[in-house]
Amino acid sequence: MKSKRFEALAARPVNQDGYVQEWPEVGLIAMNSPFDPKPSIKIENGRIVEMDGKARADFDMLDTFIADHAIRLGNAEKAMAMDSLDIARKIVDINVSRDEILDITLSVTPAKLTEIVGKLTIVEIMMGMTKMRARLMPANQCHVTNVKDNPVQIAADAAEAAVRGFAEMETTVGIARYAPFNAMALFVGAQAGRPGIMTQCALEEATELQLGMRGFTTYAETISVYGTEPVFMDGDDTPYSKAFLASCYASRGLKMRFTSGTGSEVQMGYAEGKSMLYLEARCLAVTKGAGVQGTQNGSVSCVGVPAGVPGGIRAIAAENLIAMLLDLESTTSNDQTFTHSDLRRVARSVPQLFSGTDYICSGYSATPNYDNMFAGSNWDADDYDDWNIIQRDMRIDGGLQPVKEEDVIKARNKAARALQGMFRELGLPPITDEEVEAATYARGSEDMPNRNVNEDLKAIEAMMARKVTGVDFVKALDKAGFPDVAQNIYNMLRQKVAGDYLHTASIFDKDFHVYSGVNAPNDYHGPMTGYQLSEERWEQIKNIPNAIRPEDI
Amino acid sequence: MNFDEKMLRSVIEEVLKEMGSASTAPAAKAAPAASTLSAGEMSLTDSGEAAKGVAPDEVVIGLAPAFGVYQHETIIHQPHSKVLREIIAGIEEEGMKWRLIRVYRTSDVSFIAHDAAEYSGSGIGIGIQSKGTTVIHQKDLPPLSNLELFSQAPLIEMDTFRQIGKNAAKYAKGEAPTPVTVRNDQMARPTYQAIAALLHIKETEHCDRDKKPQAVTVSFK
Amino acid sequence: MDQEALMRQIVEQVMSAMSKGAAPAAPAGGKMTAANYPLAEKEADKLKTPTGKPFSSLSYEKVLSGELTSDDMRIAPETLEYQAQVAESVNREAFAGNLRRAAELIAVPDERLLEIYNALRPYRSTKQELIDIANELDGKYGAKTAAALVREAAEVYEKRDRLKKF
Repeated sequence: MKSKRFEALAARPVNQDGYVQEWPEVGLIAMNSPFDPKPSIKIENGRIVEMDGKARADFDMLDTFIADHAIRLGNAEKAMAMDSLDIARKIVDINVSRDEILDITLSVTPAKLTEIVGKLTIVEIMMGMTKMRARLMPANQCHVTNVKDNPVQIAADAAEAAVRGFAEMETTVGIARYAPFNAMALFVGAQAGRPGIMTQCALEEATELQLGMRGFTTYAETISVYGTEPVFMDGDDTPYSKAFLASCYASRGLKMRFTSGTGSEVQMGYAEGKSMLYLEARCLAVTKGAGVQGTQNGSVSCVGVPAGVPGGIRAIAAENLIAMLLDLESTTSNDQTFTHSDLRRVARSVPQLFSGTDYICSGYSATPNYDNMFAGSNWDADDYDDWNIIQRDMRIDGGLQPVKEEDVIKARNKAARALQGMFRELGLPPITDEEVEAATYARGSEDMPNRNVNEDLKAIEAMMARKVTGVDFVKALDKAGFPDVAQNIYNMLRQKVAGDYLHTASIFDKDFHVYSGVNAPNDYHGPMTGYQLSEERWEQIKNIPNAIRPEDI
Repeated sequence: MNFDEKMLRSVIEEVLKEMGSASTAPAAKAAPAASTLSAGEMSLTDSGEAAKGVAPDEVVIGLAPAFGVYQHETIIHQPHSKVLREIIAGIEEEGMKWRLIRVYRTSDVSFIAHDAAEYSGSGIGIGIQSKGTTVIHQKDLPPLSNLELFSQAPLIEMDTFRQIGKNAAKYAKGEAPTPVTVRNDQMARPTYQAIAALLHIKETEHCDRDKKPQAVTVSFK
Repeated sequence: MDQEALMRQIVEQVMSAMSKGAAPAAPAGGKMTAANYPLAEKEADKLKTPTGKPFSSLSYEKVLSGELTSDDMRIAPETLEYQAQVAESVNREAFAGNLRRAAELIAVPDERLLEIYNALRPYRSTKQELIDIANELDGKYGAKTAAALVREAAEVYEKRDRLKKF
């Protein structure tokens, strides 16, 4: 006989996900692996000669880079001698300040960081996040993509996402050669929706930099680093080339962060038998050593790997915390599908959403997931109301707010028309009124007419050859009758001259005031400190349009 | 699709076994200068270092280290022999020539495709991994960029492979074909990511960083 | 009040709370600190474009008229040095180091910068090619820390067998 209950359970979405038992020998283990190195440090003549059980002669490229660049030597021997459990307890002790913690954690090795967070439960990790994130107030980032690479839809989706509250937006491509259109559509759409939103386009490293130099984007995030040397090489970089690239961005006034995550080394075939979290700690040390202000981490696109092993989702929260312990801007993933189960996907986001991070999602899909070209996000446009109501239920600020349909339609339409005008002025393939109309009311690319892809690709090649830049967008938009959008683009370009937004965890408000870890540092030290929801913000979050008002009855 | 833990275990065990045997008998890995290895419906034979082509009417197909030799089907169980036949048929339909090389220095599909493009007289190459991930590349692009990328291996069907061959041939002729329609399935990751990782580990085990691309002859049975 | 206004209010509260203890205001020894930040608002008169135009003279109208071009809308080495000082004042010395390395690279043209970055990627260059790049950065652009990084890379790549093979 078969149990009917078991039959029902077997049919549940959660049982369509892939799970694997731990296998520490090949690195299929989230954290606390018996094969992780024991923390150690030896310094001679101002130089690390031994780190995490390895002598300098045996260092690989990452060890060398980390030992030479990532660890503060002054306090290192003292910090390494402290009991990891004591440090873990300080992290959750409200009487120990963020600065005191950083004095310790910026002076220790990757194995030590791994050991410290290994002592924390998921709730303690969340307490650590609340205290250790760099910026006072949390924020959110979205993905704006579609399977057709339709630029009109990108502009409209960006404008809607802006109204809904995102502070940063990221696009990418189905067809790599579409990148310039996607980047400019995102830039225009975002600035039409709400001035001051930062935008980026995820591409091959050198191409991404080129678009930034041309003023098509205002920041970059897809600068990947990896935790073992062979995987780093397959990623076509070294810690040195990545450090150089980081400086290239800053030299053009562009904000940037690195990205890494647990599971990538297993995914790419060379985990060297270490836990996913230890390898991620190495990535974050490389990030710190390169002098980069922040990171996007939390397994990111490899989430299926840690999510398949025991404790994997805890490890993802732990890696976010390590980023914060290194005083890095924390952009905490929650951006990739990993499960068929709605319950699991909410639980996965609880640590970052409830604690608040610098960017809770590093890609909440601003489209339905079928259009998400990062292969689907953990949250998508169909979940907007769920997110808003969870904020309302828990009295938390997840960076979004409820919106009115008419405001969204207005914003979408304006963005689509602005892009239409800009395309016309730049002599690009026309955007028809039919496309503008469709983008205004679309849910996704299924509602969009097809464009002539070949014409677009040819026009892109020609546009790039005649060196069109962000300055040309300003002129074209002004000519097209959208001076306000043009002004916003101009203001973003102007910010690159000043460089304030290069700093840790920066965001802009609609008046282009910058808030970062410099002028808006997180000062949490217990109940009723740190970021507190104001009455105004709470009004904004709690007033969903579909709540019944008692006075109406 | 459900994961069969036993299957995963057996894949892992095999990987470990290969890792073990590679370290005890390195000669076995380095030796085969001209190995013929049967792959069911086809056999692929290394025939010495590949030459850089000059014929402007050729497309080079770069195979990942384990393709058709140590692995015989893609992540959705399509036989490698059929996959290769479809790609070749697509190229031939456009009246272009093809040539096979095997890339050993890496298992990364972008680099494999880029190597293929560099060896191709037309400057156009196709790279394919055992799990089915495929890239159309052009030699002047950065390695991790591409003309067309088919990153979601579980979504690549047989007719797509033929389309890939056709489009590569069209690029080689200097045409600007409409890219093969991009597909996207947000549930591919939850279902396939762990198994994809294991297949890639298996592929990577056969890399040899110091070995140049080898010319490959194929015979279909 | 919207979220931005709220943020500003909170920030102002925090900043005033912070400033009660210490006395930040005047940059000691001419160094910028967190108290001068954001520079675009508080130190606008000290900033310039790399083409020598005062930051405060930038305007939308000048972009439209063509008086300002994309060459003007760039960051200058002095500005990055100021931002590095701000970073140091909040104990972010690694980040400050990156900004200083970046300041040196402003003079390197876009195309050349991309080429150098690509040359630093694995298996792209011989040791001599990397040393030549370091000498170029050093000699031609005065980019001393960037050159040091490239030299360091040349040594490590050699040791780890990541130089150009074929």
